[in-house]
Amino acid sequence: MKPWKPVVIVALLTSAISITFVACSANDRDASPPSQTRTAEPTDVIDEQLMVALGQAKNFHRKAKVYMSDGNLAAATTSVRQILSLRFPAGAPEAEDVRNDARALLAKLLVSQNQVEEAMTTVSEGLAQSQRESFFVANLHTVQGEIHEARAAAADAEGEPGKVRAAEERRKAIAAYDRSIQINEKLQKQLMEER
Amino acid sequence: MPTNRDDDILDSPVPDPDMEATPSERAHAKAFADIIDKAIAGKTPPAMSADDRALVEVATVIRAANGQLELSANRQRSLVEDALRQAVGGVAASGSGAGVTPIARPRAKKWVPWAITGLSTAVAAAAVLVLWLRAPETKVVEKPAVAKVPASWTSRPADPLIGPIAREQAGDASSRIDYIFADRLDGYRERRMTPRGGKP
Repeated sequence: MKPWKPVVIVALLTSAISITFVACSANDRDASPPSQTRTAEPTDVIDEQLMVALGQAKNFHRKAKVYMSDGNLAAATTSVRQILSLRFPAGAPEAEDVRNDARALLAKLLVSQNQVEEAMTTVSEGLAQSQRESFFVANLHTVQGEIHEARAAAADAEGEPGKVRAAEERRKAIAAYDRSIQINEKLQKQLMEER
Repeated sequence: MPTNRDDDILDSPVPDPDMEATPSERAHAKAFADIIDKAIAGKTPPAMSADDRALVEVATVIRAANGQLELSANRQRSLVEDALRQAVGGVAASGSGAGVTPIARPRAKKWVPWAITGLSTAVAAAAVLVLWLRAPETKVVEKPAVAKVPASWTSRPADPLIGPIAREQAGDASSRIDYIFADRLDGYRERRMTPRGGKP
């Protein structure tokens, strides 16, 4: 066998394979387009997973209510906290609403137990994680205002040294209430227009 | 004692080296020497015995291997002139087949496989480049049309259902989750009760 023959054969094979690849690639482009219709299930409609999550949230709220009526605020707090770790369907708008409402209640429970800073953290996390404005977000701002008021009251209780801080907290409380009112007005206007 | 058969020198037994040559052997040796002389002079006798012809061929090969062959002055001059003519693109004057073999022809033969290799490689490289540099496919992604379903069947924000939350009801999440759950349960049941493809 002549020495150049393997080289020629390899080169010819390489070019043949390359041309085949190009041809196949061109054929792929002519593939049929995807279907333009699909059913609404299961991403958009109310499904079992959403109902289960809502049902669990409802039960945790009921438990918390019973504990609160019994004066067991710590147990009520634990029960409400469990709502935050419920698994909702991905992208379900109800998830954010339910969690923000639970955070509002949780913050109020914490304030009533003199855990003002943790209450502020709970509210701030909820506001930071919210993807859209809603009445529930507005409610979180309302609770945030109440927490600022609680901080102002605590600063006032310190006497003269806490007066400046108390005034600052009151200013922040007013800002939070204003933000809540602003969101509520905007959303109400939108709902009126939709009707 | 071995016997010599002079008429069959190649097939007969080999005589003893110390043995005296017979007159017949001497005569045969002289005749073969004449033949060799003629062969060297380029006048090989047309007819000779098979044994003599074989010996002449062997002698010719040995002489050629020793490199003692020399072309005649005319022949040398003719070959050199042919070579020079071909070098400048001319045609060999001596039309004989024993003329100078052109150097360009073997070179061309050597080029052919490499030319094929180069061409194939170029084609392969071009194909790879086409694959690589091809303009990115612009897919027109059309949003699939969602089959229309009633709003009450869908997962959606609870704002229209709950409305603005008054400050004194800020912690009344329990009542609100009851509303939301009841509303979504209605939609879920309605969807489950409606036959697929039928109108609600």
